[in-house]
Amino acid sequence: MSAETWAIAQFTVVMALMATALTLPFAIAAGWVLARATFPGKALLETVVSLPLVLPPVATGLLLLWLFGRRSPVGRALDAVGVEVVFTWKAVVIAMMVVSFPLVVRSVRSGIEQVDRRYEELAATLGAGRFRILRTITLPLASRGIVAGAILGFSRALGEFGATIMVAGAIPGRTQTLAVGIYTFVETGREEAAWGLLLLSALLAFGAIYLSNRLVAARA
Amino acid sequence: MIQLTLDVTLRQQAFELQVKDTSSVEVLGIFGPSGSGKTTLLESIAGIRRPDAGEIRVAERVLFSSAEGIDLPPRDRQIGYVPQDALLFPNLDVNGNINYGVRHSRRHLPGDAEARLRSTLIEILDLGPLLERRVQKLSGGEKQRVAIARALMTQPAVLLLDEPLAGVDRARRDRILPYVLRIRRDLHVPLVYVTHDEAELTSIADRVLHLDTGRVAEATHRRQ
Amino acid sequence: MATRNPAMKIVNWLAAGLAVLASSAPIAAQPPSLVVSVAASMHTALEELAVLYRAATGVTVSLNTGSSNTLARQIVEGARAAVFISADDRQMDVVEKAGRVVAGTRTRLLTNELAIVAPIDRAVPANLAALLEGRVTRLAMGETSSVPAGVYGRRWLEHEGAWPRLQSKVIPFPTVRAVLSAVEAGRVDAGIVYATDAREAKVRVVGRLPANEHAYLNIVQPAAVIAGPAEAEGRRFLQFLRGPEASAVFRRRGFGVER
Repeated sequence: MSAETWAIAQFTVVMALMATALTLPFAIAAGWVLARATFPGKALLETVVSLPLVLPPVATGLLLLWLFGRRSPVGRALDAVGVEVVFTWKAVVIAMMVVSFPLVVRSVRSGIEQVDRRYEELAATLGAGRFRILRTITLPLASRGIVAGAILGFSRALGEFGATIMVAGAIPGRTQTLAVGIYTFVETGREEAAWGLLLLSALLAFGAIYLSNRLVAARA
Repeated sequence: MIQLTLDVTLRQQAFELQVKDTSSVEVLGIFGPSGSGKTTLLESIAGIRRPDAGEIRVAERVLFSSAEGIDLPPRDRQIGYVPQDALLFPNLDVNGNINYGVRHSRRHLPGDAEARLRSTLIEILDLGPLLERRVQKLSGGEKQRVAIARALMTQPAVLLLDEPLAGVDRARRDRILPYVLRIRRDLHVPLVYVTHDEAELTSIADRVLHLDTGRVAEATHRRQ
Repeated sequence: MATRNPAMKIVNWLAAGLAVLASSAPIAAQPPSLVVSVAASMHTALEELAVLYRAATGVTVSLNTGSSNTLARQIVEGARAAVFISADDRQMDVVEKAGRVVAGTRTRLLTNELAIVAPIDRAVPANLAALLEGRVTRLAMGETSSVPAGVYGRRWLEHEGAWPRLQSKVIPFPTVRAVLSAVEAGRVDAGIVYATDAREAKVRVVGRLPANEHAYLNIVQPAAVIAGPAEAEGRRFLQFLRGPEASAVFRRRGFGVER
């Protein structure tokens, strides 16, 4: 395995870890709201959360490109404070976050829904407030779903391509993940190198699944 | 002694719960066949279920009043609730369960008093050998005792017991009752004790409500 | 405390993993640098030139490679590419119309010509005439409405009057690389690509269409400086690309350079 392949793999894993870590709090919040709360417009929230699952990743990438580009208020605001997103590693992380978000939310939501509400009610009689209950009872009891969701999200982030290439570009040394690298190498005729990346991607995927199984088993 | 005002109307699937009773008691017993609304009544007092109409007062404190639009959330009611299956938190051990209320609420005693209450409860309920155990490894009776201690650590104004002997095998039932008596005698915490077995109440309850399909069929008061 | 919380374990894993990996791998590019968006067909040439440029000036050129229309779209939305090298005029027009090109910097950087290629171990089609007569079963081309080599390929066939008899035998591919793969693997009888693409593949060249004989094809691969903070650097690089050293590299790789 060449130094270049190793560097690309390292970069991809770090980005995916970062994306998962950043997605988790939002996904837990969304999962909790969808699992426990009722309010008008809940169906709308469910749809919005699921969008990245249903849209082709390229479309998601296009949306992100527009959102962080010079023609959107968000992009212009970021530009004003000197923050560059498009064509940087930040775009890689963001693309990974967006595509993995619905997967993590689903798993978290399912995990929380399986927690008997009576535990939460009882905790309330003992004097605990809502967020305290969430932190000390609901989330610990839903941890299997949360962990499974995190690993699923991580795996998705690792393999993310369509959105990444649109908003982050395919810039070796800057935004080249494993998946993007495979594409670039194939496109520019470096097929052997592409195979090396492919092998590594497969190894990482196996690793993630193995880890997932071990963690879920350990909880039991 | 505590004054309990119960005026609860709650439409359920099979029938309507309609209980109206005011009394000053140390132990209020409620018995009736399963499905007569006993648990629903307790849940209303605890704040977990909202009655359609009525009023619930504990020691002159209004917990619920449909007329005045008051419905205190459970955390503000100072009610201790021990459900039928104890419902110990599976992610905590016995210690964690017992201390949950004082760790995660604003109900605190000055440091020393809290420790004393804890050791008193542990002694009264014989929880010493159980403290480090995981809750999954406890017997039905042990779970009940832990659940009682958990509720009492928060110093509730009244303790609600839902069929405390139901999850305990027959042979050990006589072992639990003394604990309940001890709570009443040593800690002076008023109890609302729900059961389907009237015999359990003979030794402890001052007043007994006989519930039948949601209504109070009979109310007896005992002078002790 | 008696709370065993696997969620916390996960967070700790993530943090540790992040720390270990982040400390050992450089994420950011080294300054000073500029990003150049280049179509896939010119990628390898630019790789070579980027090395030369760095040796000469110390400036790192990061190449963003992709299909010209994706590259154009990114630039239109404000992606910070300093220079854009497109595989055809159409995508450069898109970028220019969006006002992203620095006035006066658009240039005909390279020209190219079409080549017809076939699997190495096959004897047919023997020459261009054979192809035009329809003596093939399958012909690989880039998408004839979007991929530049496909667009020009169709134009040639139409000009020669061979399109009606060959149209049903055309297998369209989304990229030139895919066309070459199909030819290399022998899954088609022939393919139409840019001459420069053919050089980098294990294929047999059946024939070429020189620009002077096929002026109507006019395959131009333009370059331009894109408006943005790296404009000065971009100008310098484009200057280099039009210079004698770069031109030699381009010519050696089969591109047409007219200065």
